[in-house]
Amino acid sequence: MRLLLLNLLRKPLRTLLTVFGVGVALFLFCFLEIVLAAFNAGVDMSDASRLVVQHKESIIFELPMAYRSLIEQTEGVAGVTTASWFGGLSQEPLANGEKREEFFAQFATDIERYLALYPEIEVPADQLRDLLSDQMGCLLGGKIAERLNKKVGDRLVLRSTIWTQKNSSTIWEFNVRALYTTGSPTFDETMMLIHEKRFDEARQFGRGSVGLYILSIADPERSAEISAAIDARFANSPYETRTMTEKAFNLQFVGMIGNFQFLLRSIGSAVVLTMLLVSANTMMMSARERTREMGILKAIGFTDGHVFLLLIGEALAISLLGALAGVGLAWLLANALHYNPKPDFFPIFYLPGRSMLAAVGLAALTGLLSGVVPATAGMRLSATEALRSV
Amino acid sequence: MCPQPIIQFRRVSKVYHKGGADIHPLDEITLTIQEGDFVALMGPSGSGKTTLLNLLGGLDTPTSGEVIVCGQDLAALSSHERARWRCDHVAYVFQAYNLLPVLTAYQNVELPLTLMPLSRRQRREHALKALEIVGLADRVHHRPDELSGGQEQRVAIARALASDPDLLLADEPTGDLDAHSAQEIMSLLIALNRDYRKTIILVTHDPKVAHAAHRELHLEKGVLSRDVDVKNQRM
Repeated sequence: MRLLLLNLLRKPLRTLLTVFGVGVALFLFCFLEIVLAAFNAGVDMSDASRLVVQHKESIIFELPMAYRSLIEQTEGVAGVTTASWFGGLSQEPLANGEKREEFFAQFATDIERYLALYPEIEVPADQLRDLLSDQMGCLLGGKIAERLNKKVGDRLVLRSTIWTQKNSSTIWEFNVRALYTTGSPTFDETMMLIHEKRFDEARQFGRGSVGLYILSIADPERSAEISAAIDARFANSPYETRTMTEKAFNLQFVGMIGNFQFLLRSIGSAVVLTMLLVSANTMMMSARERTREMGILKAIGFTDGHVFLLLIGEALAISLLGALAGVGLAWLLANALHYNPKPDFFPIFYLPGRSMLAAVGLAALTGLLSGVVPATAGMRLSATEALRSV
Repeated sequence: MCPQPIIQFRRVSKVYHKGGADIHPLDEITLTIQEGDFVALMGPSGSGKTTLLNLLGGLDTPTSGEVIVCGQDLAALSSHERARWRCDHVAYVFQAYNLLPVLTAYQNVELPLTLMPLSRRQRREHALKALEIVGLADRVHHRPDELSGGQEQRVAIARALASDPDLLLADEPTGDLDAHSAQEIMSLLIALNRDYRKTIILVTHDPKVAHAAHRELHLEKGVLSRDVDVKNQRM
């Protein structure tokens, strides 16, 4: 072990540059994983026991509110709530008189029912009581409240890009009555929920309709059967439905960005391959320089296996040090310092544990692959030949 | 302790295939060496001295014949077994010292001991004792590039001594040294043979160096041409 460490320090600059190279590659890999995780956040937070009902043609078409009771009557449905996209931009006054507009997700819903369907959302009891008793109230995710610098009791002004009020104004005011948190890193904490009743009464058009229905089912294994039953119920009506699992619903949005994920994965693969080549080149160079030393080790009693382990250990150590640097930096930025380059686009921005494990696994694999050629050559090397080398 | 004789070569030949031709560095060598002997192996370049030394240390295997060292037929052992056997019975001293440059004198001497079932404290004791024997107790933390050639060779001898081998194989140990350092190294080897009863096989071109041994073996074109009992001649 000491010899391994000292060999790494033999040419510190070369070791440092190789570790740096592996570290940068793994940092980039982790960053791509963070972006992919951000795209897939909706999918990851999906629950198999939740279904979504939308208009058969497109999500942009509304469904009648009257469907709620009909959906509730479907066998196997445990609870139903609604969600209508509000499409608002926050209106934060700036010192120069202009307004800073910030985008985030807002939904009009029956908040009590919504919270019953999403036990992941945690709201303090006193705030929830105030929220339910104030139709002007809203529930804000902890992260968006922090970004907008809002706290319970503040007023929040939004300009809806879709909905006008009866007085033709697109400006809507809300009271921040409650803030929610979640225990899950994949659950969006940048949402805002407003009361559907107030929304429906105040809007100029579209009254009596909702964007979609979210429902919970008691037995997730019956999701296909229940979905078919709901869609059959509204078949041949003016508002036909398409029911799907929450995961399938969220995957629609991921699908909208086409092959972007493939592109990211391709970049990640190219980076890892480059890392492998750089590391392999360094390891082979390092091993070639020490041919004679391998002969010495064998002459004093080290076995071929010892030499193999020494060389493969050095390659592994370099790769894992690179992983420590690259993955560590990515973790520090995204998970500890909560760095998010585009918070309105990526409500969830964190490095998942599985990605960290994958990066460390990749580093280990890179170390093994880059070390296996020089290590095998070192193992097979005849001591007498090695001792003759200059 | 090894069974006597410590070394037996029985009609040992070695053949290399190089560039489509067969090279015979050793041809039907038969010899016996007793424990505690100090043997100088002499001969011109290419006469097979180093090949013979490599066979003795189990670094190479004969093409035919038997090499029995410390009662063990080395050809019967696998590469792994020969490495373990080497660790227990043999130590090398090379012309080019062959110390590991990243390790200090102490760490170089301790290195073969890490292969043995010894505690850290025992390894330390053995290594320091060996360095003391070669007169380098005050250079334990120096790296090879901080030592003179003679000092490097003494560290190499200390490394060879530390594991208390039955057989010490020295390949031109004074070849790269000035006359003064060479004399020091020879004195050290003589003392090791005399005081510690180490069997030493020394390859050399230098008759003066060879004269320190009890016995001279002369090789020519892979054949043992002369076997001289120097000790009795001197007497």
